[in-house]
Amino acid sequence: MKANACSASLESSAGRRDALRELVAAKARLLVPLTAIYLVAYLGLTTLAGYAKPLLAAKVAGPLNFGLLLIMLNYVLACGLAVLYVKVANAVFDPEVAKLRDAVAKGRREP
Amino acid sequence: MNLLTLGMFAAILCATLGITYWAARRTRTASAFYTAEGGLTAAQNGFALAGDWCSAAAFLGFTGLTALYGLDGAFYALGPLVAFCTVLFLVAEPLRNTGKYTLGDVISYRMRRKPALVAAVAGTIVVNFAYLTPQMAGAGTLVRLLTGIPYDWSVALVGASMILYVAFGGMLATTWVQIVKAVLMLAAAALILVLALALAGFHPFVPLAGVEERYGASFLLPGNYLKHPLDQLSLGLGYAFGLAGLPHVMTRFYTVPDAKTARASVIWVMFLAGSFFAATTFFGIAAAHFVGRDALLAADRGGNLALPLLAQYVGGGAGTVGGELMLGFVSAVAVATILAVVSGLTLATSGTIAHDCYVNLLKDGRVDERTQVRIARASSVVIGVLAVLLGIFVQGVNVAVLVILAICIAASANFPVLILSLTWRRFNTGGVVGGMASGLVASVALAFAGPAVLGKDAIWPLVNPTILSMPLGFLGAFLGTLIMGRNAGHESRFDEVLLRAQTGVSQRDS
Repeated sequence: MKANACSASLESSAGRRDALRELVAAKARLLVPLTAIYLVAYLGLTTLAGYAKPLLAAKVAGPLNFGLLLIMLNYVLACGLAVLYVKVANAVFDPEVAKLRDAVAKGRREP
Repeated sequence: MNLLTLGMFAAILCATLGITYWAARRTRTASAFYTAEGGLTAAQNGFALAGDWCSAAAFLGFTGLTALYGLDGAFYALGPLVAFCTVLFLVAEPLRNTGKYTLGDVISYRMRRKPALVAAVAGTIVVNFAYLTPQMAGAGTLVRLLTGIPYDWSVALVGASMILYVAFGGMLATTWVQIVKAVLMLAAAALILVLALALAGFHPFVPLAGVEERYGASFLLPGNYLKHPLDQLSLGLGYAFGLAGLPHVMTRFYTVPDAKTARASVIWVMFLAGSFFAATTFFGIAAAHFVGRDALLAADRGGNLALPLLAQYVGGGAGTVGGELMLGFVSAVAVATILAVVSGLTLATSGTIAHDCYVNLLKDGRVDERTQVRIARASSVVIGVLAVLLGIFVQGVNVAVLVILAICIAASANFPVLILSLTWRRFNTGGVVGGMASGLVASVALAFAGPAVLGKDAIWPLVNPTILSMPLGFLGAFLGTLIMGRNAGHESRFDEVLLRAQTGVSQRDS
């Protein structure tokens, strides 16, 4: 989950382009799995709703069945993934973005 | 009941018009009109997003659906929350960094061709009016039901308020109307939750066991409302990708200063709206348990009065001071809910008419600041009047198909075009036009051939067509791109688009 955007030199415009591509790749390495997890969890549940009613009917605790439990877990999962992404973005991606932004501004002043 | 509700309704109107007066004095530039000069905090935008996104269909409908149809209602409430993951992961930050006021800005920044902007404008206008018309019709029905004001007058009253908010107060007034609505909505929900839980002895399983005993175990299973096995999946796809393609939701991300604040506002709305949506599932079960489905059906066949009647019950019941106060409060909040949503829609539509069409398409951006604001105000008045007329015109018509269409077109036309613009180097104007056209046509054709319009004679079996129309939208985008062919200059400019989307700055001053 570490962004290596700083490995490219930001002095040249080619270096900045490579740094940008590395940043995008690093973001994708995090975002693709996160997106896949929540889509599988949510769309998977809607598929179960159509084709696996007996499974969703199974009782978990008292009157609570598996279907309602999975719905509640989906709320928790979606919020959890969102918070995770924001924490990583603030800690890892934002500093890289700031470096790149400064380098671009500098490059614009000294063409 | 009527007087109490009318009183609270009047108080909300006075407060929001006061806000508009305050906001109007601060709305002098186009940037202030469309985006409140990008100066909102994450919490403000998060509350406003919650106010923007929770329509009356969410505030009253989810509780009603759960009360009448059990688990299917809980599914309806879950989708609109998880959809914010798509918004957060894929579109919030690039939108903030690339766009100025509209979806058209993002598309034309990438494509620099007028046909692409025309396609984006078409997607925005169709989605917004498909969304706005049933909201206006719902406003007429609800205000009549809750206050006794006749349908036509109710629509006109809601329309007049929304025109005043938007035309004079622009984004600042719209934002604060949405914040006020979100706070009222969450306060009402918290109050009902505590009172209902107290009645259940603070054990949520009590109403759950109660409804199972009364209505059978099948009540707590899917399939009571949506009959086809693929219905839930298709609806889920519509939510998961449609939210990220709704222009009036996108507009909210231009009101914050940077990508970091845009991210934080998504977290705010997920916790605010998420806890509300989750609570509606409990409210529905509690309404079925305490009030009973027969009483709910007798009050409104669509179940839309489940939440107000539950509030009345937990407040002490019909005829008691507490019960009538709660009923009046929840009814007034329902009206505030509609006002907040239609204002956001009107503002976003006025952005695409005044900014995309007039300033950028007609005048190539050469319009001075004062004229821009004048045109924006005028177009919001025209849109508001049109919305009122549409709302009155569709009285008694089943507008359910429009609700389906709005989210389906957003997922099938706007979303593919937006996401490919931000991620695919070869994507071009042909792809924008192809994606918009095929997504729009497929959504409209399938929705009108489906059970929402044709009932039992439906040619297409699913209520929400996204499961087929979204792939068709992407297919149109791919084919359009291939047909138009490659252009090295256009593709090399994609690095510039990526830089802007990721950092918000450009290589060259612009």
